[in-house]
Parts: sequence; structure tokens; C-alpha cells
Amino acid sequence: MTTLNVNVHHVTRVEGHGSIVVDVKNGEIKECRFEVVEAPRFFEAFVRGRPYSELSHITSRICGICAVGHATASLEATEKAMGVQLTEQATLLRKLMFHGEIIDSHILHTYYLVAPDFLGAGSVIPLIETHRDAVLLALRVKKLSGDLCAIIGGRHTHPCALTVGGFTHTPGERELREIQARLVDARADMDASVDLFASLPWPEFERETEYVSLHKDDEYAFIGGTVVTSDGFSYPIEDYKQVTNEECVPFSTAKWTHHNRDAYMVGALARLNNNHDQLHPRAQAAAAKLGLRPIVTNPFLNSAAQVVEMVHCVEDSIRIIDELLSRGVQPEAPAPFKVEATEAVGSCDVPRGILFHHYVYDEDGICTRANCIIPTNQNMANLNADMKVLLPQILDRPQDEVRHLLEMLVRAYDPCISCSAHCLKVEFV
Amino acid sequence: MNKRLAVIGLGNPLRGDDGVGPWVIAELTRQGLPPGVTAYDGGTAGLDLLRLLDSWEQVIIVDAGRVGQEPGQFVRFTPDQARWSETRDTLSLHNMGLSEVLALARALERPLPAIVIFGMQPGDTDWGERFSPAVQAALPTLVRAIREEIGE
Repeated sequence: MTTLNVNVHHVTRVEGHGSIVVDVKNGEIKECRFEVVEAPRFFEAFVRGRPYSELSHITSRICGICAVGHATASLEATEKAMGVQLTEQATLLRKLMFHGEIIDSHILHTYYLVAPDFLGAGSVIPLIETHRDAVLLALRVKKLSGDLCAIIGGRHTHPCALTVGGFTHTPGERELREIQARLVDARADMDASVDLFASLPWPEFERETEYVSLHKDDEYAFIGGTVVTSDGFSYPIEDYKQVTNEECVPFSTAKWTHHNRDAYMVGALARLNNNHDQLHPRAQAAAAKLGLRPIVTNPFLNSAAQVVEMVHCVEDSIRIIDELLSRGVQPEAPAPFKVEATEAVGSCDVPRGILFHHYVYDEDGICTRANCIIPTNQNMANLNADMKVLLPQILDRPQDEVRHLLEMLVRAYDPCISCSAHCLKVEFV
Repeated sequence: MNKRLAVIGLGNPLRGDDGVGPWVIAELTRQGLPPGVTAYDGGTAGLDLLRLLDSWEQVIIVDAGRVGQEPGQFVRFTPDQARWSETRDTLSLHNMGLSEVLALARALERPLPAIVIFGMQPGDTDWGERFSPAVQAALPTLVRAIREEIGE
């Protein structure tokens, strides 16, 4: 009879700290869970008492990977609260910058975190010797997406040009043309990425669940819209709590969420499942090549869905820049708004899935209450449900293989468990 | 932008003493810098640090670090004086720090600028925007040391 004891503290190549705990005695599963030992907390404490103008800048510091996502969701909430109507140009620039961050996050996750699992490497460093072209491709795309964010946001990691009502800085037409030319060139890198990831032996595993994402009638949704689920539900963003139903669980500092079932999934795969038909035709072709035909129920394929979204974002960025250039890009003052006692919810579908920011403002525009629900927390219950189904299917395999598959499953969700401190750890020679 | 010398502050200002780097950048900017010197808040730039390093001839990095000192004490060192604690198999790249970025740059044989690092031992890096008393008290000394390094 199988006896396994897998205890992975701090899964490598996952942002922040999380642990896999598996205890199997004589074929009987005693413990099987992914626990979070540290999670973003005190969100409310950071923003309470702060003026509306500071919130997007504070929240963009929560995470170095989703800085644009947090800033955009924050502005969505504040702008809804203050009755802001963004100009068409500002709306296009927000979308373009968001695409930049989706590409930025997905290229890092797929190439530097997921690919090593398939290519027999413990990390990206040994890949430099065996798959140098792939490592360089990822760096090239990462530089492109970083530059795309930087020309719009004024600075890459934590954008400073985003402000309530629009932007404090407008990219020049020449900058836009240059970045567009590089996006066109990046098509070759996207094609190569689709070929590479289509060739990987994805683990065979299926578990049907509910997929939750934003949806818009006129485009593949990343910013605003309505909240939809693959079980046929639809809610205005304001009613997000009807979807999230947060609850505390004893072994995790992250709150778990559930809707129509015990758990639901958010992220690239959820978006692809719900909004596949709105993907750019090239991205739909990529999805077909990667074997992604909705509804896709293999959670490992979340990483493949990220490849599809990169293709989409490259194509849609090229289109948006065309639109900006044909309209003519002009410096614009932020749209007018009225500061009053009010509350609102903003939502974006950031790289890891749907994100909610909910603010209450007093009459001076000071935030008095806030709530933030991040994608990783929403995926926790689903990830644990996956583990409980996967483990019995692989119990007969060697312990190292079991551990590796469970780690791969965790990484497929691309969890951002904690936006951690970035202390150096140094010994001197 | 002048490409000669940049002071880059790294860290998360929402994580207590981890915010030393960005704080120093804000302070240097407030005080003013000599011509040819840029102060850049790198935040939690991760792999984008590689991109940033490419842009300068000389870089001074300010970061919180476990440098074997008491909280608030700092060490000035160059990358070749340090043995970074990363290993090949546990490298966490998703939100990489300086050591991982330098390891990647070396493995890729990318040219790097001359780098000097000021690592300040943190006291508390839990969520919060306040520095621990020891770090708070040491900030002016750190800023002076960086100004000396700039050559003022």
C-alpha cells in the first residue's frame, strides 16, 4: 500500500509563500492541501484615511507583477464613484497599457516558471544552456511589454502617469509607431511560442468546475463589463459579493471563495472558456493549435491559455495603436469629476484572474472603507479541489513524481500568494 | 536622460523596512542631485531590473538586505564581494530580486554596469508603511553615505 509524505514548504517558482501538504498512509489520504502561510493583508488599513488621488498609486505597490492591474481596478472604482467619463483616447491608452502587463506577466510565467517543468530543468538558469533561444525570446518579449507599459505609464513597474480621469502624460506618435513596429515583429515570437507550448506533454487531468471572468459584449474583456460564470450566471460588478462569498478557512490566511459550486476558477483559462469567440482570429488559431476548445477542464492548461492571451494582446495592441494614430494623439487634461460621499466597485481581469476593488469615500474624497479581492484567493478552493481529485489518480507513482505534479498544478494557477518583501539575502565571501 | 550614473532604490514601501530603497530615492530627489545623476524608484521591479541595469554606465543600488548586521546598519559592497543565497533549483523568478537578476545576467553573459550595493539590514518587513525605529534612525546616515558614493 502506498505511503507518501510530501511536504513542500514554499513551492519554488511561485510568488510568495505557499506550502503543499500531503500525507498518505497505507493508501489512505490523511491530508492533501495547499496552504497559504502569508497573504496580502491590511489592504483596508493602507487606503483608509487616504485621499482618492493616492489610492491607485498605493495599490499599485501591492504587487510588482500586477501593478497596472491594481492601479486600473483602483481607478475604475474611484472613477465610477466620482462619475468620471474617460475620453476615448484615455480608454484606449488604459487598454493598451493593460495588454502590456498581460503580456509581461504571461511571458514570465509561461517561459520562466512553467517551461522548466517540461524541459527537465529546475529553473530558467539551466535552460540558458539547453534552450537559449527560448530564454532570449522571453526576455525580448518581456522588454517589449515593459517598454509598452513604460511609454504609457511613465514608468514600468509602478505606473506614475495614471491618474483619476485619465493620464498625466501622453505618449508621442513616434513612440507609438516604434512600439507598434516591434509588436508586429513580435508575431514571429508569438508563433514560436505557440509551437513550443503546443509541443509540451501537458499532464492529463480533467476536473469540471465553474469558470468566472469579466465579459463584455463588444470585446474580450479585461477592464470592466459584467461578471459571468460558465454555469450561466451574470452579475453587475457591484454585486461581486454574490459571486465571491468569502469565508475563512482554518489552515490558510487567504479567504476562500465559492459561488454555484464548492469552488470556481479565475484566470486565463476562465477567460478563454467564457469569452473564446471574442479572441483575435490569430489567438483563436493559437487556441486551436494548443488544443483549447471551450469548455477546457484541465487546469494545467491555464498556462496554455496564457500563451493564447499573449497572441491576442499583441494583435489587439497593434489594432489599438492604429486607432490611436488615426485619431491623432493629443495631450489631454484629466476628465472632470465631482468629489462627494459615495461608493463604488471597480473590476479588472488581471493576469491571474478577476480582481475587485471596492471603496467608500466621504464628502472630502477620503477613503473610509475598502475591500480588495484578489484572483489568487478566489482560486484557492479550486486548486485544493483539484489536488484532492488528482492525488488519488497518481498515488501509485513515485513520491518525487507526485510532488512534482502537485507543484506543477500549483504553478499552473500562477498564484501570487504574497506580494512579498524583496530583501536581499547576502553572505560575504 | 543622462546615462552616466543612476541610484536605483528597490523594495516595497508597503512592507515596512523593505521600503528603504524607494524612500531613499524620494529623499535624494527632494534634496536634489548633481547633473548626470538620476534617482530611480525601481520598486519591486523583479526581472525588469535587468532592463534598468542595461540603461546605465554605473549604478548604485539601495535595498533592504539580510547582510548579517543589526537592523539599521548597512553594508556597502559590490556583486563580486557577495555570495548570493540563490541556488539553481530553488530560484524564485516570478518576482525576482537583485541576486536572481544578477545570476541571470551572468548566465546570459550580458554586460552589466559597474554596480555598488548599499544593503541595509531590516528590522521588520511585515505589511505596513512605517520603518522600524532602528532603520528610521539610520536613514540620514544611509543617505549621506550614498551622496559620498555619488561623489559629492
